[in-house]
Amino acid sequence: MVMLQAGLCPGLTAEMIQLLKASGIRTVVDLISSDLEEVAQKCSLSYKALVAVRRVLLAQFSAFPINGVHLYEELKSSMAILSTGNKSLDTLLDSGLYTGEVMELMGAPGSGKTQVCLSIAASVSHSLKQNVLFIDSTGGFTASRLLQLVQFRTEEEEEQVEALQRIQVAHVFDIYKMLAALQELRHCMSQQVVCSGGPVKLLVVDSVSAVVCPLFGGRQSEGLALMMQLARELKTLAREFGLATVPTGIKVELDIGGYGALEERPGASGEEL
Amino acid sequence: MQRDLGSLPLAPALRARLVGAGFSTAQELLEVGPCELSKEIGISNEEALETLQVIRQECDSDAARMGGDPTSLRTCTALELLEQEQAQGFVVTFCSVLDDILGGGVQLTKITEICGAPGVGKTQLCMQLAVDVQIPECFGGLAGEAVYIDTEGSFMVERVADIATACVQHCQLIAEAHQEEDHHKALETFSLESILSHIYYFRCHDYTELLAQIYLLPDFLSEHSKVRLVAVDGIAFPFRHDFEDLSLRTRLLNGLAQQLISIANDHKLAVILTNQMTTRIGQSQSTLVPALGESWGHAATIRLILHWDNNQRLATLYKSPSQKESTVPYCITPHGFRDVQPPPPSQTPEGSEMNPRKRPRIEEDKQ
Repeated sequence: MVMLQAGLCPGLTAEMIQLLKASGIRTVVDLISSDLEEVAQKCSLSYKALVAVRRVLLAQFSAFPINGVHLYEELKSSMAILSTGNKSLDTLLDSGLYTGEVMELMGAPGSGKTQVCLSIAASVSHSLKQNVLFIDSTGGFTASRLLQLVQFRTEEEEEQVEALQRIQVAHVFDIYKMLAALQELRHCMSQQVVCSGGPVKLLVVDSVSAVVCPLFGGRQSEGLALMMQLARELKTLAREFGLATVPTGIKVELDIGGYGALEERPGASGEEL
Repeated sequence: MQRDLGSLPLAPALRARLVGAGFSTAQELLEVGPCELSKEIGISNEEALETLQVIRQECDSDAARMGGDPTSLRTCTALELLEQEQAQGFVVTFCSVLDDILGGGVQLTKITEICGAPGVGKTQLCMQLAVDVQIPECFGGLAGEAVYIDTEGSFMVERVADIATACVQHCQLIAEAHQEEDHHKALETFSLESILSHIYYFRCHDYTELLAQIYLLPDFLSEHSKVRLVAVDGIAFPFRHDFEDLSLRTRLLNGLAQQLISIANDHKLAVILTNQMTTRIGQSQSTLVPALGESWGHAATIRLILHWDNNQRLATLYKSPSQKESTVPYCITPHGFRDVQPPPPSQTPEGSEMNPRKRPRIEEDKQ
């Protein structure tokens, strides 16, 4: 929804905009969706000029359709599958985390969501040597536990240090800060700034519900709007930049029978400690 | 920078008017002056000015972060966090087995929740921790101060005095055993009066006062920067009775949890909460679970459940990001929270168990 401004396209002058505003047309969408004959009569503007302006605006602002075959070719070359480090989890996810997609982890308190997130981060950072951004909103990120998980994968200290350096951690505890952090990430990635090693390939958000739950309930309803904003940000980041995104949330009734194989996870279960 | 209007902290009514007028990103708003803005959406000049200031602040802080260092997202690497964690201490509980299962003691920058049936020792543990956080650094403590927020009225000063006296005696014995200068210097300032004067006590009578107290805590903490422990004794009590709107309760509790974890993280302190137990009626049997519901279970980073087994008190670590689940016994003596000691044949039971982080004491005859 872009506002009409002078100079947006040739032929759109300031007086035209004033006349349009007076009759309630403020944005590009308003102009394109209105009946131009009526507008021409009400604002005493030339019909031809309005049609010319509309054509230019349509060309400038509409989305381009893309052929299914082109989409498939593009995906084949740009999508990657990141293994989570746990064979049974990989099988469940059809060989791993797909970049460009958002995978949500849900579970009751104490069921192991943070552990799965740490384990995936350790695996991607160490085995796949990719950068990871871990956004922590619950305070559950414990670096010593991450070190333990990395130590089970390799004995050499240098590799452990490198793996830990590839994981960036941001602490945000409310919804606005989280949205700001995601915007910054988007900005960083669109500038294609090269950080040490390369761009972020995996984004873990632990947890989404901690920042969104304080907005629900009571009589205020803007919580849903903010939740959708957050969802949109995550999806855009995943889609546009080819990240694999893993937010976690809570749900009371969830059948996690399929996760029974978690005991086999190397070094992360209680028995090994 | 294209910040969408929906992601900026504006009042909902104001946001609705801005969207109705056709604005959708922060960029567009910044190009308009306050007078034009007030005319467009029909608000007063002052409101328009305020709104533009808020937006400018948000966008400027983003720009400053990015202008200074394009790669920094106010993040730190896991390696730096690891170094920080290893350098920061723990708040010991004087019960060495409990300290072991917690990984050294109550952790800083995290919320620890202590749940238990009435009389099992939650308030005792809170009082013990409020004293232990003040132990000087040369004895293995944090030399910090404590904030105690009481909602149930169960804080007894005489009991804290007993616990503090026992703690001071313990440190004196260590100092005598290892004659070192810094021990004696520290002991000069570590006395009953100093311990009691560094526990900041707040009494809250209902949930509004509790919420207000916790939202005002950051200001208090910026003046008292040595505080290393915030104990809220009885987070369940104000929320469990007289609350008709349960969705409001969940919302308030979640907001409270986020505020607490943000305080714990910013000021590097430990937050302790005590919670009550309730019965969940299942299909065939009923179980004892922590109160305040499932969604509250996600609020605490570490959850400790205290319970009875015949006459023995047990502590179970139920939820922790870095330690495994286990159960240990403990007991409560006149000196405070301690390990379970097999009663010696002729003497009265000794006070404290050795704390593994302190240097070992030579066996002394207390009498």
